[in-house]
Formats: sequence, C-alpha cells, structure tokens
Amino acid sequence: MAEAEFRVEDLSNGTKRVILTGAWSLRGVQNNFSELREHLSAFFGNPFTHWDLNGVEQLDSAAAVMLWTGWGKHVDQRMSLRPEHAALFNMLAALPAAHSLEAGRGSLMAPFILLWDKYLEFFGHLTGFLNLVGSLMFEFFYILRHPRNIPFKEISANFYKGGVQALPVTALVSFMIGIAMGYLMALQLRKFGADIFIVNIVGLAGVRELGPILMAIIVAGRSGSAMTAQIGVMRVTEEIDALSTMGISRTLRLILPKVIGLTLAAPLLAFWTSAWAIFGGMLAAKIQLGISMEFFLNYLPQVVVPVTLSLAIFKGLTFGILVTLIACHFGMRVMPNTESLSGSTTSSVVTAITTVILVDAVFAIVTRGIGL
Amino acid sequence: MSKHSLACEITGVWTQYGSTVIHRDLNLAVRTGEVMALVGGSGSGKTTLLRHIVGLTTPSRGEINLFGVNLAKLDREGARLARNRFGMLFQQGALFSALTVYDNIAFPLRELRQFDEESIHLLVMHKLALVELEPKHAWLLPAQLSGGMVKRVALARALALEPELLVLDEPTAGLDPDRSEKFVHLINNLKKQLGLTVVFVTHDLDTLVGMTDRVAVLADQHIIAACTLSELAHVDHPFAQNFFKGVHERLDRTDKWKTAPTH
Repeated sequence: MAEAEFRVEDLSNGTKRVILTGAWSLRGVQNNFSELREHLSAFFGNPFTHWDLNGVEQLDSAAAVMLWTGWGKHVDQRMSLRPEHAALFNMLAALPAAHSLEAGRGSLMAPFILLWDKYLEFFGHLTGFLNLVGSLMFEFFYILRHPRNIPFKEISANFYKGGVQALPVTALVSFMIGIAMGYLMALQLRKFGADIFIVNIVGLAGVRELGPILMAIIVAGRSGSAMTAQIGVMRVTEEIDALSTMGISRTLRLILPKVIGLTLAAPLLAFWTSAWAIFGGMLAAKIQLGISMEFFLNYLPQVVVPVTLSLAIFKGLTFGILVTLIACHFGMRVMPNTESLSGSTTSSVVTAITTVILVDAVFAIVTRGIGL
Repeated sequence: MSKHSLACEITGVWTQYGSTVIHRDLNLAVRTGEVMALVGGSGSGKTTLLRHIVGLTTPSRGEINLFGVNLAKLDREGARLARNRFGMLFQQGALFSALTVYDNIAFPLRELRQFDEESIHLLVMHKLALVELEPKHAWLLPAQLSGGMVKRVALARALALEPELLVLDEPTAGLDPDRSEKFVHLINNLKKQLGLTVVFVTHDLDTLVGMTDRVAVLADQHIIAACTLSELAHVDHPFAQNFFKGVHERLDRTDKWKTAPTH
C-alpha cells in the first residue's frame, strides 16, 4: 500500500493545485495525519487552492475528517472528488456538530449545586446505612425465631478470614508499636526517675487504646476492603440478584454472617493485639530500664483493673460492628463500573478508619472516670 | 495465491496447557477480503485460537502471521502499529465501564495522538452512524446500554482505527433473532463499505449462513476443513456432517448457495 503523499502544481491563473496520491488511510501504518495536516496547512488556509483527489487509492474516514476540517467543513467546486469520496464527505456533513451537550450548568450556581449534591449524597448514605441496620435487625430477630436458618458456615468462614487470618499481621504491627512506644517512654520517664510508671503507660495504653484501635485499622484495611469489593463485584455480576431469585435473603446470607463473624472476632483480636503491644513494651522496659518481666507482669494487674478489660472488649465489639457495617454499606452502593468499585472500596476503608477514631475519641472522654 | 493476499496465516500451531492439548498442528489461512467463520464444539479451542490470532496469547509451538508479519517477533512500537490494523470484538463487549460510549470509541483515536478533539468528535460520530446508533447514545455509560447496543458500541470501537481485519468472538450471542439479523446485516454492510476481512466464532447458524464466505471447522484439535458452506457436505467427519445438516436447511430456505469469493 502506497504512503499518503501529495504534490503541488502551479496553475496558469496563478493558483495552486494540490494533488493527493497513495492510500490516505489509517491502514497505512506509516501515515501520520498530524504531520500531513501541518504540511497541508498552508494550502488549507488559501481559499483559491484546488484539490485533486482522483489519484487517491483509498480514503478512509480519518483522512476525510482531516481534509474536511482543513477545508472549513464544506466541499465546493475547487475539490475534484471521486463519487465514493463525495459520499463519504456527505456523510460527514450530516453528522451532528461538536459537543452541544457539554454546555450546561451556569458557572455562578455551580458551587451551590455541588454543595447541594453533596448534601443529598450525605443523606443518601445516612438512609442507606439506616436501611442496612434496619434490615439486619429484622434478619437478626428472624434467625432468633428460626434458629435452623442461622448461617453457621458463613459465620465461621468470616470469623476465620477476618479474625484468625489476621493474627500474624496484628501481632507484628502491635509488637513493633509496643517496642517503639516503650523505648520512647522509657527515655522520658528515666529523666524524672519514674521508671516504674512504664508499666502504667504501656499497660493502660495497650489495653485501652492501642489494642482496639490498631485492630480496627488493620481489620478495616484487610477485611473491610475485601468485603466491600466482594459485595460490589457480586452486585456487578448480578450474583446478588441470583441469590434473591432463589429466595435467599442477601442480608441474611451475605451481610449478617460478616457482621456476626467479625463482631465476634474483633474483641478477641483486640485482646491479642493488646497483648503483643504490652509484650513489646515489656521488652523495651527490660532492655532500657532493667525492669524484669516478672515484676512487670506482677505489677500490671494493679494498673489495668478488670473494668478496663471490659471497656476494651466493648470497644472491640463496637469497632468490629462499625467496620463491617460500613464495609457492607459501601459494598451495596457499588455501581456496575470499575470506577465506582475502586471509589467505594476507598471510601469504605477511609470512612471506617475515620469513624473508628472519632468514636474512640468520644469513648475516651465518656469513660475518663472509669478504671483510671 | 501469493503470500501477500493472506490476511492471517496460521501454520503448525500447537497449544498445550500441561498435558491437555488444545490445538495439534493446526493450519489455517484467511484470505484478504473474505469472511471466515470458525466453528466447532464447545471447548474445542475456538476462542483460544482467536486470542492467538490477535496476540493476546502465544501458541506453544507454531507461527501466526497477520498480513505477513508475526506479532510476537515485533518490537513494542512495531507491534502497536501492527495491532492498529485489526480490531477485536469481545464476547461481552469489553467496553471500559468507567467511560461513556463517546470516550470508549474515542479512546483508540486519542491514543494515536494524530487528531485534535474536533476531528475525534467527527470520527466518533461517524463510527456511531456506521453502527446505526444515535448521537445521543454517546453520553451513556456501558452499564446503561442493552446487550445489542453494547455489541454495536464495541464494534464501533473496534472500527475506530479503520482496521483491515475484524475479529469477532460470538458477535450475535445473547441477541434476539431480530437483533442478530440486524447485526449480520450491519457487518455485511460494513464489509462492503470498508473492505474488511472478518474472522469470527459463532454457534448461531443463522449468523453463519448470513455472513460467511468460508467456514473453518475446528474438531479433533485441528482444522478438519476450510471450505464454503455448500462444500461442507463432502467433509467426512461426524461433527461436520451434523453441522452441515443444520446449515443445509437454512441454505435451502434462504436459497443462498454461496461460492468461494474469487480473488
């Protein structure tokens, strides 16, 4: 296939004639239409140039568009065309003109409209969330009356995936943070000769804050994102609709097991996380301050009173429920496209972590008189 | 026949996954300008062969040449240019779900970096007109389209770079008879207008009879016949015979005994 080429002839009356030859087509891979357009731009600008397309082997839509826009979107006597070319240019002329749909919103009102949309979106999330909690309550009372329908398998699977499989990573992270915190505190406390208080700090911080919070953050990142993506993809591939047509409640089969499984696992995980954080701090205290582990462990129960443990369990439960509910909520809002899937997964994790930290702050204030 | 007039040439292709052999010494030649159907039982490796042809997968052994070049042996830039010479229509459409119909069709054009937005707009509208969609459909998202529209948009995207070879995987699967007839009509029209070579896989006999110049039968891990539909009667193989029965009825009905295109 010959390359797209042109040559210029001077006519007797002083005007020029551009003669196109070769294949003016994208199929000729060596053709570059932006270069051709540049070479031809001088002739496009001149209203007296004649164009001869009779020697063109092949003219495709891409080349036709390039010529046609160059000619100012019309064909007249100056162009000598073959009939099939003329048909192509006629088709181009009949096409609707450029983006008439993009002009829309007035610029002055745009920020307010955006705000209003955000406001509506917020209420959409709120009602969606309430809906979810409501239907969960219904299902919960339903399985209380019909214990045969309790999805034990799914619950245990979720407990295993969200809880048991999270053991190594939560242990590692909290152990490292325990060590880091232990060292930092040890250095400060030594200045005041208050070495012994390392037990108070590590013990209380580990059980009351670090355990539940670290657990919640890791679970939100691990299981929360997985849940959102799973429910989202099941929505996209209509698997959820398939469940519904079989008469199986999606809330009962998909969401309830996740909520129960993770809610049961969360307090245990929080304990596990606390234990490793305290172990890390203990190690730091031994190395930095020479406080023996036996002493540390003996003194610990005097600082961390049982009510603190109850508080930690309660926090763990709350955070577990929050993370799962938020994950499921965002999963149910996934629209059937990739952008929405990634957006919802991100929102799920970000919202879950933010909410958990907000709730934790409220907890800290409300429970400031308990166990301290 | 000179080598140049072959759009696609498959020689001695073997495909093996572990101990499973899918293609055993498979040979096939697709002439330029013809519509070639690939038929075979479920799981006979038709889609795998299509994926080999467009270079998504490479066969374990053997060679596949498109327009006389082997995609696997080209460098990155060369392969990109060569890939612009064919378009593929996937079974599910494979439209980019986050982009509108307009942006889906404009995508390959923008990637070419040869056109300004004004030209792209015209080209997109031209492709929409080619596949008989209305301009207002351009602003819909793939999730908002019906099955037939998804196929047509996917076809418009495959046609965006004016390919010479169009590879279709089950183009009419999931369409109602009326829609699939229209789709066949559309492909036939496009073939006439643009001078396309078409390779397609189908299970739908009406589509087959409506479009095909030649049919390649994939059975027993290789092509047992590549001939016109009427010549299929002389192929001595249970699958081909069985298959021909269905084709025969339709050929009688449409009275459309096709002969091999003369090239």
